[in-house]
Amino acid sequence: MSKKHTIDVDKFSLVKVKPSPRNFIFFREESCDGCGNCALICPMDLWRMRKGRASLLAKYRERCLECGSCYLACEKEAIEFGYPPAGSGVTYERA
Amino acid sequence: MKRYDLIVVGAGPGGSTAALTAAEAGLKTLLLERSAYPGEKNASGFALSSKAWRDFSFLQEMELPSMRYCRQCVAHFLSPPPEMEERFVVASGPSRRMSYPEARDFFTVGMLRREFDPFLVELAEKAGAELRLNSLVTGLVFEAGRVAGVRLEGGEEYRAPVTIGADGVLSLVARQAGLRDKWKPHEVTSVCIVDFTAPRERMDDVIHEAGFQAYFGPGMGGNFLIAYADGVHLGGPGVTNSLIARAVRKGIKPAKELLETLSAPPVQRLLRALEAEPREWQAHCLTWMDRMPENVCCGGLMLVGDAAGLPEPLYAEGVWQAMYSGRLAAEVAKEALEEGDFSPGFMRSYRERLEESPVGEEFVAGAQLRQLFEMLGDPRVCAELEEMAVDLAVHLLMTGQEPKAEAMGRIFSILAENVPALMSLARVYLPLLLQVSEEKMRFYASLLRGIRNIVENFLSGELGF
Ligand SMILES: Cc1cc2nc3c(=O)[nH]c(=O)nc-3n(C[C@H](O)[C@H](O)[C@H](O)COP(=O)(O)OP(=O)(O)OC[C@H]3O[C@@H](n4cnc5c(N)ncnc54)[C@H](O)[C@@H]3O)c2cc1C
Ligand code: SF4
Ligand code: SF4
Repeated sequence: MSKKHTIDVDKFSLVKVKPSPRNFIFFREESCDGCGNCALICPMDLWRMRKGRASLLAKYRERCLECGSCYLACEKEAIEFGYPPAGSGVTYERA
Repeated sequence: MKRYDLIVVGAGPGGSTAALTAAEAGLKTLLLERSAYPGEKNASGFALSSKAWRDFSFLQEMELPSMRYCRQCVAHFLSPPPEMEERFVVASGPSRRMSYPEARDFFTVGMLRREFDPFLVELAEKAGAELRLNSLVTGLVFEAGRVAGVRLEGGEEYRAPVTIGADGVLSLVARQAGLRDKWKPHEVTSVCIVDFTAPRERMDDVIHEAGFQAYFGPGMGGNFLIAYADGVHLGGPGVTNSLIARAVRKGIKPAKELLETLSAPPVQRLLRALEAEPREWQAHCLTWMDRMPENVCCGGLMLVGDAAGLPEPLYAEGVWQAMYSGRLAAEVAKEALEEGDFSPGFMRSYRERLEESPVGEEFVAGAQLRQLFEMLGDPRVCAELEEMAVDLAVHLLMTGQEPKAEAMGRIFSILAENVPALMSLARVYLPLLLQVSEEKMRFYASLLRGIRNIVENFLSGELGF
């Protein structure tokens, strides 16, 4: 059988975000118990685990899909979520 | 500060239908949406159920470029990784026994939300509702303990005696009103979607009207493929594995599971046949409740759609629910204005009517419906059911390899061997049937109860897989 080309998805190249001018996800490090839920659930891999604590990548404002998964998955109330201001954030052209 | 009769927060299907209904009834209505255009951020399947055409006459005129009718649903059951080949496939057209003509004609219509949401908003505007885009609501205004308006990010305030919170799953309105903090991990799912475009002719040849397809397999949550005119959305995982509580317990990364499904050979072959190209990566959360939430209203406020947690308990379809609840809330708002009563007690009639409506009916036997999907998410149960289906199909119909009568005769032993599997199914199905039949077919109720007793006794020793 001939080798067929594989249809791959590079998710990072498939999102369009106008970076928010301000923060809209707020992380309270002192409440974090390092469970890793946020890092597991984030569809854009914007959370990292370091030294038993979570940290949010600084470039999240350029990549976040505003899905709120991290906020909903955190049971320690260490993540607060608002939306980026009107006119910024993710745009889905084919939602 | 401007005054209105009704403020609707969020111009998704729930908010727009509320605004349309209210404006048609003569209410001075303001519709606020944070996006630059309706649907801009509303990642979804999206396949609209035929129920919507039954209940909303304005859909008769809807013609959107992305629409594709689904008259065939397909479920593919795959073998476990790394093989992930098709072991069993069921495809079905609509049933002639459905209770209304649209459902006998089609299941759903696939389309893009970036076309559907603006279509609804335009209807609301034509009826007289005032739309404000780029308007992020960040707070509520309270007066005498009741919600009396909203505040935008810039500080601007709008007042109305009734507000409808149609701001989706992360509803800020619900939180600010103190109706809930946030959904618990066992109440909400996190789903990813890959959008593919494909030439329309390829879509017509390869997909035609098989517009809704699902991929199941041992350990998979049931990923879905929804076809529209010139492309498909592959989304997942399905509700079981995307349930946040389950994902974190089992270490399932939803985005990874979706990409694994994408790499399954049958999916790859389909995408190649379609000449499909990936265009967009999307993600969104979605409630998955086994009963209708209690706290959906308070003085001066009603929640509709996802903000209220209304997606149904089997596979969490939610757009028709959002539209239906939006219309109902607008009707209650009109009555409240006529009576001049915006008290929690009056608003409570919204919750009561919702419970009695077809939206509430979808929650009958909700726990069992959810359990059914959860069973498929269990790798061992799914594998057993898959192999049983294969055995039955092969021995009943596809017996070319062996003397036919002999092969067909094996059906009895196959059924007998699968008694535990069938019992497990019965454990979910019988209570479900009971709940429905108690209301609708009293005649059969006692008979079913008798059977349940026998089955329950039989199963009390934790019989199963
Ligand atoms: C992956 C996926 C697939 C799905 N597939 C289907 C399907 O095939 N069929 C189906 O029927 N359902 C499907 N659903 C469910 C469906 O998408 C939702 O139930 C539906 O969108 C709910 O409508 P809504 O109007 O309540 O909320 P939404 O559609 O979420 O609309 C809320 C609106 O409010 C706006 N908003 C939010 N916060 C604010 C604020 N603070 N200020 C101003 N505006 C705000 C948002 O921008 C948005 O426009 C799917 C869901 C997901 C996640
Ligand atoms: S989910 Fe919350 S508690 Fe767990 S690692 Fe992330 S921030 Fe910390
Ligand atoms: S909102 Fe969604 S995309 Fe953004 S950081 Fe949280 S999980 Fe990741």
